[in-house]
Amino acid sequence: MQWVAQGFIFRRVNSPFHQLDPRVKLLVSVELFTLSLLVGSLPEVIIALSGIFTIASISNILRRMSRTLSYTLFFAIIIFVINILVGYPLMDAFVIAVRFLAIVGSTSIFFLTTPPDELELVMRWFRLPRDIVFAFVTAVRFVPVLMMDALQIMDAQKSRGLELQKGNIFSRFKRFIPILIPLIVDAVLRSGDLAEAMESRAYGAVKKPTSLHKLEMALLGKVVSISSIVLIVPISYLFLFWM
Amino acid sequence: MIEFSSVEYRHPNGIIALRDIDLKIRTGEVLVIVGENGAGKTTLIKHTNGLLKPSKGKVSVFDLDTSKESVANLSRKVGIIFQNPNHQLFSESVENEVEFALKNFGFQEKLKVERLEWALNFFDLARYKTTSPILLSGGEKKRLCIASVLAWDPDVVVMDEPTVGQDFVQKERLTQVIRMLVSNGKAVVLVSHDIEFIWPLQPRVIVMSGGRIIADNKADKIFQDKEVLDKSRIVKPQLQKLSEKLHVESPGVFPNVIDTKQWIISRLDSD
Repeated sequence: MQWVAQGFIFRRVNSPFHQLDPRVKLLVSVELFTLSLLVGSLPEVIIALSGIFTIASISNILRRMSRTLSYTLFFAIIIFVINILVGYPLMDAFVIAVRFLAIVGSTSIFFLTTPPDELELVMRWFRLPRDIVFAFVTAVRFVPVLMMDALQIMDAQKSRGLELQKGNIFSRFKRFIPILIPLIVDAVLRSGDLAEAMESRAYGAVKKPTSLHKLEMALLGKVVSISSIVLIVPISYLFLFWM
Repeated sequence: MIEFSSVEYRHPNGIIALRDIDLKIRTGEVLVIVGENGAGKTTLIKHTNGLLKPSKGKVSVFDLDTSKESVANLSRKVGIIFQNPNHQLFSESVENEVEFALKNFGFQEKLKVERLEWALNFFDLARYKTTSPILLSGGEKKRLCIASVLAWDPDVVVMDEPTVGQDFVQKERLTQVIRMLVSNGKAVVLVSHDIEFIWPLQPRVIVMSGGRIIADNKADKIFQDKEVLDKSRIVKPQLQKLSEKLHVESPGVFPNVIDTKQWIISRLDSD
């Protein structure tokens, strides 16, 4: 669980990509995501992955993203095997499996480089309802908290003699019940506390609350946005109609 | 009983949480670990039942090397009561919650029932036997956590912030429990910021700062050491403060904390 979440949790890193406007980061991530969806042959896969790994490298998140992708490889192998079993040619099955990795990679670029505060600003810029924005951003913020809780619960239950690594796959699954129940109960209790605390601080008292930070696109952001569109649109066209 | 020899612990992210820890925890003693947040107190206690294994050095529990033993095996000897009760309660009833560890440790049916009854009665939880632990109050949940660990009668009991959420009466009861455990030859290790709770126990205190043990002495000596108190951000117990002020005015009547305490008790009795 921890390794999957690591690939989507923001950590403050000093890189040129991190300093960009969050809308630009979203745009680049969506472009790479679209490119990943369009790949249909080996050269296209290589082009899409090169784009993803280049951005990850510029953002100094290559190591963390690669770690997540290496674990996601398990699911990619399952996809590959299933496609072979249902009769796809070897190369097509390979491309579909790698496409999955590219989709995960392109998505994690945005989440690894955008703090929850900026995520909130982007969502509000899209004029999404405030309650939905708040719920989504809070959920993202609480991922590391829940991870820490899960580790502490595992420690507490292991200290009471629970052996998680013992037995076959079914008994191991059963052994996770003492971990899952406190985790869920604690999350529910915490959400209730959070709701009360927010209400006590006048959440929802005004329809259009003001914001301390506002999104302002710098020149670098504009340049990156335009260049990325100029680069991605022809490549996507080539993927669709030529290659 | 438990021995730390030149222990260092490095987190997976490279941060060193414990350095040069040499410590012996002996039978029948109360050991209190104090220090500022992030000093390494919880990391230290997690080494006592093998939840964490030392990066360097050795931790032995009853001559067993913790890096070679399972947590379950070590937990039979060292029971840890964690700070947040919500992180361990999961069963349908209070009774099942206490029974959980007894089942895991393979207690015989008769002994299991005996220990269960003792733990529920001792901690005043028998009336909640069939109640869901989730419905208990904060203080009751904490008591249930303590009961569920003491039920299997470990030789060393480690408590992380046991007084959080407890009222005065429950704190008094906890003090009695600790005294009872010590008189039965158990070792009790407490991590606590509650100096007023610690002081009457007159325990051995180790002070931690930056992952190191910076002082190890009896409580009355530690609470007189200004340098140590400042470093670890500990506030003196109220009785100690009062004693020191009275000592300045009448050194003959109030030579030390114990005499000050006796003087207060005698005055209260005479009233």
